[in-house]
Amino acid sequence: MSEKRLYGLAAIFDTPEKVVAAARAVAGRGFTKYDSYSSYPIHGIDSAMRLKRTRIPFVTLVAGLSGAVLLVLFTWWTNSVDFPLVIGGKPYFAWPDYVPLMFEMTVLFGAVSTVIALLVVWLNLPRNSHPLHDTEFMKKVSKDRFGICIESDDPRFNEIETRRFFEDLGAESVDSIYDEPVDISLRQKVLDPKFIAAIVVVAVVSSATTYLALNKMLLIRPWSSLNAQFKVNPESRSTFYSDRFGMRPPVTGTVARGHLPDPITVSDNIAAAEKYLVNPLLPTPHVMQVGQRDFNTYCSPCHGYFADGNSRLQGQFPSPPSLHTDSLRLAPDGLYYNVITNGFQGVMPSYARQIPRKERWAIVWYIRALQKAQNPNGPEAK
Amino acid sequence: MSRSEQIDASKLKGVPTSYSSVGWSLLIIGVVLMLVAFAINVRHASFSLIMTLTYVATIGTGALFWVGTEYVSSAVWSTALRRPFEFMAGVIPFLFILVFPLLFNLHTIFTWTHKSLFATDPTMLVRAPYLNVPFFIIRTILVIGVWCLFYFLIIRNSKLQDTTRDQRLTKRNVNLSAGFMPVFAITLTLFTVDWLMSLAPNWTSTVFAVYVFAGAALGAMAFGTLLIVKLNEKNRFPVKLTPDHYYNLGAFLFAFINFWAYIAFSQFMLQWYGNLKDETAWYIPRMHGSWAVVSIVLVLGEFLIPFFMLVSRAAKFNPRRLVFVSVWLLVAHAIDIYWLTMPEYNSSGAVFGLGEIAFLFLSAGIVLAVFAWKAKKNNMVPIGDPKLERGLEFHL
Amino acid sequence: MSSATTEEVIDYSVTPPLVEGNPSLAKINDSIALPTERWPSKKYFAALSVTLTMLLIGVVALGYTLYYGIGMWGNNIPVGWAFDITNFVFWIGIGHAGTLISAILFLFRQRWRTGIARAAEAMTIFAVMCAGIFPLIHLGRPWYALFIIPVPNQHGLWVNWNSPLVWDVFAVSTYFTVSLMFWYIGLIPDLAMMRDRTTSKVKKMIYSILSLGWRHANRQWQHYEKVYVILAGLATPLVLSVHSIVSFDFAVSILPGWHTTIFPPYFVAGAIFSGFGMVLTVLIIIRKVFNLEYIITKDHLDKMAKVTLLTSMMVAYAYLMEPFIAWYSGSPFDWYTVVARATGHYAIGFWVMIACNVLIPQLLWSKKVRRNVAVLFVISLLINVGMWLERYIIIVTSLYRDFLPSSWHIYTPTIFDFGILIGVFGLFFTLVLLFSRTLPVVSMSELKGVTEGAHPHHNFGAGHE
Repeated sequence: MSEKRLYGLAAIFDTPEKVVAAARAVAGRGFTKYDSYSSYPIHGIDSAMRLKRTRIPFVTLVAGLSGAVLLVLFTWWTNSVDFPLVIGGKPYFAWPDYVPLMFEMTVLFGAVSTVIALLVVWLNLPRNSHPLHDTEFMKKVSKDRFGICIESDDPRFNEIETRRFFEDLGAESVDSIYDEPVDISLRQKVLDPKFIAAIVVVAVVSSATTYLALNKMLLIRPWSSLNAQFKVNPESRSTFYSDRFGMRPPVTGTVARGHLPDPITVSDNIAAAEKYLVNPLLPTPHVMQVGQRDFNTYCSPCHGYFADGNSRLQGQFPSPPSLHTDSLRLAPDGLYYNVITNGFQGVMPSYARQIPRKERWAIVWYIRALQKAQNPNGPEAK
Repeated sequence: MSRSEQIDASKLKGVPTSYSSVGWSLLIIGVVLMLVAFAINVRHASFSLIMTLTYVATIGTGALFWVGTEYVSSAVWSTALRRPFEFMAGVIPFLFILVFPLLFNLHTIFTWTHKSLFATDPTMLVRAPYLNVPFFIIRTILVIGVWCLFYFLIIRNSKLQDTTRDQRLTKRNVNLSAGFMPVFAITLTLFTVDWLMSLAPNWTSTVFAVYVFAGAALGAMAFGTLLIVKLNEKNRFPVKLTPDHYYNLGAFLFAFINFWAYIAFSQFMLQWYGNLKDETAWYIPRMHGSWAVVSIVLVLGEFLIPFFMLVSRAAKFNPRRLVFVSVWLLVAHAIDIYWLTMPEYNSSGAVFGLGEIAFLFLSAGIVLAVFAWKAKKNNMVPIGDPKLERGLEFHL
Repeated sequence: MSSATTEEVIDYSVTPPLVEGNPSLAKINDSIALPTERWPSKKYFAALSVTLTMLLIGVVALGYTLYYGIGMWGNNIPVGWAFDITNFVFWIGIGHAGTLISAILFLFRQRWRTGIARAAEAMTIFAVMCAGIFPLIHLGRPWYALFIIPVPNQHGLWVNWNSPLVWDVFAVSTYFTVSLMFWYIGLIPDLAMMRDRTTSKVKKMIYSILSLGWRHANRQWQHYEKVYVILAGLATPLVLSVHSIVSFDFAVSILPGWHTTIFPPYFVAGAIFSGFGMVLTVLIIIRKVFNLEYIITKDHLDKMAKVTLLTSMMVAYAYLMEPFIAWYSGSPFDWYTVVARATGHYAIGFWVMIACNVLIPQLLWSKKVRRNVAVLFVISLLINVGMWLERYIIIVTSLYRDFLPSSWHIYTPTIFDFGILIGVFGLFFTLVLLFSRTLPVVSMSELKGVTEGAHPHHNFGAGHE
């Protein structure tokens, strides 16, 4: 335990005039470690104490401007660089939209930094252990009196002389303020059974809570994100329809877009298909792209990416033949179209439901391109 | 201190003769240039005269607004500074002279007078009951007449108080000013819609009158600050003003710079965002070609640069800074009016000719000459105002 | 305007006192701290039970909404916004008067604000809290609210910076943060005073922690005052920006009745108008209940009534401008919306709104009305009604007549809409009541600074801060 130490002398004055005059006198004497106290800011006491002007406004200015700049950089980077997105026909960097945000960030950064700077940097708060706390002096100042306290650290401080000086200035009372530092021992026994028990309890409770929250509570409405709704979800059963299917079949005769029936039924008439069906598309880059996409999606699992039958499902299904044989190269487009539409010999299924008509023709073009690419001088070239 | 000690009676009337001589020479040059401009190109010169009309009207009514505001809000600090604003408002009756030549040229200025457009644009027909020549002239005369009425009544009471020192006159002016505020809002709106908005008859903006008001209040405050600070620094003001008075003037300038920018940005952003053809048609010319340069100059001149010139506390105490910013803002206000008006004359590119020079000379000449004339005849501070002493003792 | 009979003799040459009866500094401490130190009266508990009941109704209605989804409300396309956003805009607006009183009037050095600033600031914070509830619950799944904050996420997406709803998030949270800091900074010296006068150990500890160990030292005051000015300077444009951004929610669309450029200043004026209505309501109650008539004087009420009148006129100006420009523009859609508002299904609401916001405030031209507390109280309540209706009319009547007549739909609120509305009023007044019991409702340090003789006579130079 350390001893009481004189912190300073605190004088009480009863009017603001007296305290301002006293502050001026104290400053005039050359004291530097002193402060005046009042429960509201008194006009003119700053100049009486010869205080320098505060520099806090610079914090506000710098923080505010950096808030605006950071916002501009952030909006620019997110919407112009990282994920460029056209929204509402506005340019990527739609500066008029960012002005309100710039302003808000200026204020937010400016205000928060100013307050933190004031409390933490300038005033060194929070601090509840100051010697002046809990003194009669502070209580009087807090109520209706005014005070000046000169610290004993001041080079010109002398307990007797300073007390007399205060009394000459018309002080109502002069108190000695003592500093009573308290020793706080922060050392704790780590292996204290109570400590270990507390850790265990916390661990058990938090794990149980987490388990229940994640595995039970989140599945209960409304935390289940309102996933359970009063509606029939896809592929679910219905108690309403006699066939118990929630999803209803389309009305008879309904035709999906792009799936109009073929003008010639070619299912069992390959000759007619060869004769009458002609690829209606031109091999534009777009058509080739569509063909490639669809081929890779629907055909390549069995036929392979190069239509050579060397596929990633090889061995699991009957392997389809290579499409690069001479007879297939010479086969008309109609044959390919027919096979895609109707399937082949019960091994290859029909793709009419998955692939619209135009895209089937695009696949035919792509197959032709694959054939050319494998062998530019094939029989059909002659 | 008693009142007589605070007021230097020798400086009560009149301003340095240079005010009057500069004002009159600017005015005469302006009139001559404007006449020549009319001889060269009537349409261009009419637009220049509209700019002059707007400039003078905004300064005059803006000043009357500040006088009224002081009464309504029972502000004390500005009592000693009220007279310069009253003098500035003295330009209001002269608006009749400015508007007179324009009333004969409506057909050359406004496209809504062209009946041939009605066939292609049905909306023209909708607003024909409002935008037609007789009603337009009636409105203009009515609006300026109402301004004159309030000007004469308020100023008369204020002057009368110099001799009678009757407190009831203040009360009367408070009531008058309170009545003036809503009337001013409506009349300024009518003036703005008629003389500025209807230049582009298809363009509408509900906030436009507020925008013009912001410019008017800012322009009047800038001119007032310029005169007051200059006179006080030259030791020609009959009472001693404190730096705290300066601070308040600077703070009001600063506030209205921001208010102007706020309204201007809101209007621009909403029309830019909405992207409707009638609305963007007004902004597109102003955002392209040489008009874009004027727009940028306007944003810098009326907002960004004066903002940073006035943002610090010390700047608002600094008389030299205040004078500089005031002059700067008066020029910016002229650019603002130029930007509002002239793209409707020539949307393809900025124009600067004799008419614009005449506009600058004439506007500056009128406001300065009228101020000097009024200052010669009247007391520079309201010596009978009961709030004067409190106003002089004003501290932040 | 003026006649000899109505002219009262006012002496303009003297500064009217801000505090009546020139109380001593100690009396200020005692009378302001008193409500926090004695057991509250039965009236207080009666009031609290009413507000808590309202709050409970709101909690039940909100619980239903969260459990079953916002289908419990009357909202349906095309009226996708209704009570929820009306309440949001209304409460944000209420908050604005607090900031206006605490920040703008501070900058204008209107020292009469002292008596009412603290309560008004507290109202701001409570109102913003009330407002913040609505966008969250309107999300339907409020637990996804974090998607409106620009944090990196598994979708690689960022928020839509072009959306005013995102601006709202920034504006409202900034507003709340700054208002809270402003309020707290103002409270610190008062909390220190409470700390030094309380006899209870627990209270002392709480006040010590909250006051951060403030010592009333002038080297603290010096920086403190500067920061207070800076915060006021930041809060002033902030308050304008917040309601402007709220108005952008509507005005950036091209919906007739929403897309109009006067919306930002009009919303700000309306916000201050409604806020002053609410401040009057609350302060008239507080001054009566806590016997603070000598601090919140009739002069205060008179001045607030004047501000109310002024903002009412601004709102009225917007009411005039909108139909005029709608007609002048020649747009049939704009004009139809104006007609539909005045004569359509919601015409009664529209005319009640006009009556409450424009016609009834005209009574405030009379000084007798301004100084009659009972009448003022009734007017303030009507203003609250009118301004709530204003937002409702703006939102619903612009939506219920869609561009496609096949989508036209009459919106009818459900019991849950009303339940939440009642609940949020309950929340607000509960918070106000709790605040008035636990913290000084008037800033003691500021009030001390405006009593007579608080400062030595001005014999110092101009260099002071």
